[in-house]
Amino acid sequence: MKEYQLLKEIEYEYNADIGLSYASPVRGVWNIVHIGTLVPQSHEVFVCPTSCLRGVVLTTAELGAMDRLSTITVGEDNILEGDMEEALYRGTKRILEELPTRPRAMLIYTSCIHHFMAVNYQRIYKILRKEYPDIDFIDCYMDPIMRRTAPAVPSLWRQIHRLLKPTERRPDQVNLVGNCFPYGPYSDLNRMLEDAGIRVMDLNTCKNYDEFLEMAASCVNFTFHKTAARAAKDMKIRLGQEWIPMHCGYLYEKIDEDMAKAAETLGIPGICEEKIRTERKRTEEEIEKTREVLGDTPVSLDYTAVDCPLELAFFLHQKGFRVESVFIDVFTESREIFDQLKAAMPELKIYQSLGWNIRQMKRGHEGKIIAIGQKSAYFNDTDHFVNIVENDGMYGYLGIRRLMELIREAAQETKPMKQLVQIKGWGCSCG
Amino acid sequence: MKKDYQTHVFTCTYTADVSGVCSAMYELGGMTVLHDPSGCNSTYTTHDEPRWYDSDSLMFVSGLDEITAVMGDDTVLIKDVVQAAGDLHPRFITLCGASIPHIIAFDYKGVAHLIEEKCGIPVLPVPTDGLRSYVSGADMAFRAFVERFCDPSEYQRTKEKKINLLGVTPLDFSINGNVEALRKTFEEAGFEINVCMAMGDTFEQLTHAYRAGCNVVVSSAGRKTARFMKKRSGMPFVEGLPIGEAAAQTLLQAVEETLDDGLDRNPFVNISDAREKDPFPQGIVVIGEEVFSRSLAYAVNALPETGRYGQKAFAFWPDPDEGIAEQDLIHVMRSADTVIADPLYQVVQKPGAPEHFVRFPHEAYSGRIFRDQIPVFAGKEYQVCSLLSGR
Repeated sequence: MKEYQLLKEIEYEYNADIGLSYASPVRGVWNIVHIGTLVPQSHEVFVCPTSCLRGVVLTTAELGAMDRLSTITVGEDNILEGDMEEALYRGTKRILEELPTRPRAMLIYTSCIHHFMAVNYQRIYKILRKEYPDIDFIDCYMDPIMRRTAPAVPSLWRQIHRLLKPTERRPDQVNLVGNCFPYGPYSDLNRMLEDAGIRVMDLNTCKNYDEFLEMAASCVNFTFHKTAARAAKDMKIRLGQEWIPMHCGYLYEKIDEDMAKAAETLGIPGICEEKIRTERKRTEEEIEKTREVLGDTPVSLDYTAVDCPLELAFFLHQKGFRVESVFIDVFTESREIFDQLKAAMPELKIYQSLGWNIRQMKRGHEGKIIAIGQKSAYFNDTDHFVNIVENDGMYGYLGIRRLMELIREAAQETKPMKQLVQIKGWGCSCG
Repeated sequence: MKKDYQTHVFTCTYTADVSGVCSAMYELGGMTVLHDPSGCNSTYTTHDEPRWYDSDSLMFVSGLDEITAVMGDDTVLIKDVVQAAGDLHPRFITLCGASIPHIIAFDYKGVAHLIEEKCGIPVLPVPTDGLRSYVSGADMAFRAFVERFCDPSEYQRTKEKKINLLGVTPLDFSINGNVEALRKTFEEAGFEINVCMAMGDTFEQLTHAYRAGCNVVVSSAGRKTARFMKKRSGMPFVEGLPIGEAAAQTLLQAVEETLDDGLDRNPFVNISDAREKDPFPQGIVVIGEEVFSRSLAYAVNALPETGRYGQKAFAFWPDPDEGIAEQDLIHVMRSADTVIADPLYQVVQKPGAPEHFVRFPHEAYSGRIFRDQIPVFAGKEYQVCSLLSGR
């Protein structure tokens, strides 16, 4: 069996399970430890078997943030004696006694095994909340066994924002929820909000815990990633905050539509027709400039770089780029875009980056190739790549122009791919 | 009061049994499958496997999910493994797993048998549980390999200087020349290395592990395998690591004697466990894997008294099943005058404490963080005195 399939050979299946998987050395995508450390003045406690702890502990150690994490190991005795609740209670108390600084919040993560031990953790959290009223305890989950129904990253974004308590809302303040990177100079939404004098709150930029708690006063939550949907839905119910999902894609009409909805909800001036025309023109000019730089050089892209890899492939193809391959494991985009791409590019190579066959593929590419994302760079073995994860704070026309700039840069310069892609949680500096 | 082995306020975690299995089997042309939802294999390949980027060894995670676990549906795993084996043609398959297979009583032996029947490739069941350290996992894997592929009738009591090195993985020796230095030390003393289990030798070579005169257990990850081989064939073993001239001489002498009389030996067994000293005397404590820490402590004690500032060295190692009780660790480290340990242990030092900390990175503890600082400590050429010279 070859390591790729042509798009014309593939049937659309939404979010299919993967089964037996390979793990490439590419590690730029953030994991739950990176996300958890964004909460300022918090402390993370992982309650897991040794095999699960190893990854989170070394993620933290590599960040130089071991003072932000403690662990409680699940042992054979806990399984046999059913005393996991006591172990958690005693362990948490000891951690709080020995930490040099008292945290404002404690994120306690349980793992897959606890679902099978029928552990009543909520009871322990209730006791801890009573004993330590100055600390906010929140239950978090590192339980990939539940990935079909409650995947860990969306669940964590929701749990983090459950630290916010209902309060009076401010009409001039909004939140950006569920981002690993601050959105700013490369986001149309941010520019529009700033022009209208709206205060934009983002966990990424909160300097302390009190500032983070102020997010509860925002009137609207904007999300750019699907992984933030659970948090936004939950905040709508608990805090009464509106939720506007912004589609992080490349369809001009969709960008205009989302921006108009954002302006209307907030009652602020939207982007006028003339401005939209100017933005589109500038964007097209950037695209043309980039296409000229690339010429006939092929492009490969992957799901770690952008949220909508199929949409990006379709967009680039329409704009005259030679898109050769996409590295993607599950389809989480719409059937519509899948079908459009299939009709337009039936010969597009689709690689499963977690599939077993890819382990022994001969990495490399005959001739130069530009990769958008770490996985496509690794498997094509190219130093000409756009080194981003999770959209890197890009949205709208500004975002597309920034992406074009990064593609040109990748075409003209090289980066030490082997070193860069192995860094865990690209861009995370630990809050 | 019962010791708390579970809570770690400040310190890191030694890598788990599943990583030990993968590390042990890495170079043998097999395919290792971790039966687990997710995460164990990326942890192993990111932090514990320095050979991962530049080789194509086969390590996969099964991707166990909730329904499959609840229903006890092993057919998903069997189907995937058989299909992958059909595509990739491994020499053999190793099946290990983490805590979920353990808690749902996954039948490793039965499933291994079924897979083997379907694809005709030998399958080794290694029933790890994700709760123990790499020492336990690597040892289980080595033992499973020997049990399946090595013929005990090949062992013949001989005084021929032919030995095996057991318990060799990058988790304890990295890939910076330690294994080569280890081999060189024995070879220069006239010993032939029959097999080095399992770095640098092939599957075929390892199948003849019983063709040696004795086993040398150079890390505790080879201990149970040595005992197993002893039970199966009578092959004796010696435990110890040649760190520096003095420890090397002692160990080489012990190996000669064992080849001569067939009795097991551990020349460094008298090195005290720091935990057993209460109060811990103001000495030098070596923290690490058991054979390493005992051997290095012995080597330090063999220095002239001035070279070790008149102090005695002790060893402190994690239990493969329980790990380290952090309070014990704090007590020992804060009482010691000098600590030789992985840099990640430095967080335990009391701020402003007078003790000296000698950074000695260990792959199984800090993973890749300090990999380029791991010294070539194995072998007689290592200068033990240099460790303390910076004081």
